[in-house]
Amino acid sequence: METLVQSTLAAPEHELSFFALFWQAHIVVKIVMIGLLAASVWCWAIIVDKILLIGRTRRQMTRFETVFWSGQSLEELYNTLHNRVNHSMAALFVAAMREWKRSHEGQRPAIGSLQQRIDRVMDVTIQREAERLENRLLILATVGSSAPFIGLFGTVWGIMTAFQAIAASESTNLAVVAPGIAEALFATALGLLAAIPAVIAFNKFNSDVGKAVARMEGFADEFSAILSRQIDERG
Amino acid sequence: MRAGLIASLAGHSAILFWGLLAFPDAESFSVPQVESLPVDLIPVEEFTRLRIGERTAEVRDVAATQPSETEVEEPPQPTDRPGESQVEQPTPPTPSPAPTPAPEPQPVADPEPEPEPEPVAAPEPAPAPPPEPAADPEPAPEPAPQQEAAPAPQPIVTSVAPRTKPAPPRRTQEPPREDLNTEEIAALLNKVEPERQQGNASQEPASLGSRNGAQNVRMSQSELDALRGQVAACWNPPVGAVGAEELKVRVQFNLSQDGQVSGNPRVLNSNGNPAFGAAASSAVRAVMRCQPYSLPIAKYDAWQEVIINFDPREMIIGG
Repeated sequence: METLVQSTLAAPEHELSFFALFWQAHIVVKIVMIGLLAASVWCWAIIVDKILLIGRTRRQMTRFETVFWSGQSLEELYNTLHNRVNHSMAALFVAAMREWKRSHEGQRPAIGSLQQRIDRVMDVTIQREAERLENRLLILATVGSSAPFIGLFGTVWGIMTAFQAIAASESTNLAVVAPGIAEALFATALGLLAAIPAVIAFNKFNSDVGKAVARMEGFADEFSAILSRQIDERG
Repeated sequence: MRAGLIASLAGHSAILFWGLLAFPDAESFSVPQVESLPVDLIPVEEFTRLRIGERTAEVRDVAATQPSETEVEEPPQPTDRPGESQVEQPTPPTPSPAPTPAPEPQPVADPEPEPEPEPVAAPEPAPAPPPEPAADPEPAPEPAPQQEAAPAPQPIVTSVAPRTKPAPPRRTQEPPREDLNTEEIAALLNKVEPERQQGNASQEPASLGSRNGAQNVRMSQSELDALRGQVAACWNPPVGAVGAEELKVRVQFNLSQDGQVSGNPRVLNSNGNPAFGAAASSAVRAVMRCQPYSLPIAKYDAWQEVIINFDPREMIIGG
């Protein structure tokens, strides 16, 4: 008769703190982790930047609208604004007014297709402003969609090496298996950590930029209507 | 953009720092210490089976249900002690072939192993016992079961008497085991088995069984052995008494789940021997002294009621 005695093997000591998990990892997993951390830093930088930018843009538009509809003369408004660096609605207004001014300069005012020119100028300005607002949002989208896969790659690689180590140590004890898998899963955790805020922020900023552009287009249409009436009255 | 980058870097380093503080090392789970049980790899045949009890079944010596074990482990028994082994065998002619192989390997133990003298000696037993009752425990019970078998040991005993007294019966079995070769044992077994048939109707007689009659609850042989060993360690058998070898005590007791004996152990059998009272109380004392018993909780059905045969020759447990 053979007697088998179940023995509880002493689990090898493994630190599971952040840095321990990082240092014990395979080089490929390390690179993945560093990349994901950098992506996370970059994403948050963009997020902070966009929050500030969109907030500022919104405030500027509101302020400009109150000034514009306050009954102030358009000429005066143009004179105060045209020397500054303008954004959003102010830029729209300045671009349209500049085209209007130029058309009335000289001996023969070119009024025939002035309406079309003003519309085009304002369209171009809106596009430029939208581009400024959407700048770097694609990075958020890319990180949001690819970071989980990058993390998963790190995890798969880590688990691969962990299993190789298990095969080499010829022990299936969970205490042998666990640290390697914990390390590997850390990569997925980092990937998700980078991806989740990026996805959320991308969706939010996308809709914010869409709203801002729609607001500018509305203003452009209104302003175009005003100028069109002026052209017809003078012509 | 610079503001955003600075804010992001500051936030990440803050989170990492917090992670260092808040997630030091993972705390290990507090795992309850699991009792490690010795695991015996044994063939299925050695499992003791607890079957549904039959009310009509008679209480019988569990010793009688163990032929398979004794046959395998102690084949030389019949050769060693022809007189004793014959107790179980009612058929007179067959025992003679069985002991015949004995003389060769064991010249010292029995000077007169030849079974032929047995019938001749039959008339003599009456006078023989009186001189050596103190010396040897065997004679007292033997005359009762059988006439031919009983006389046989007496001539043997007279010669062996001084040797058997100090040594417990086990020890006398050992030398022949070394000498015997397996073929002889096999031949012996083949002859012995049919004789046994009569004594023990079946290998597994209907037992009174456990009260719940759980058919699938079994105690493995090793668990029974463990219990037996535990009780045996606490037991002081009445060695010096007259006929101590035949003082079998059958004790029944109930166990609670924590291994404590609940209630008082009951002695199930009786015997005419004047020393039986002492033997019975020693058995009860052993049962009480050894508690608590460590047995697998999962099989509580199987061991909540235990019957142990205190047999001075070997302790045998019945469920």
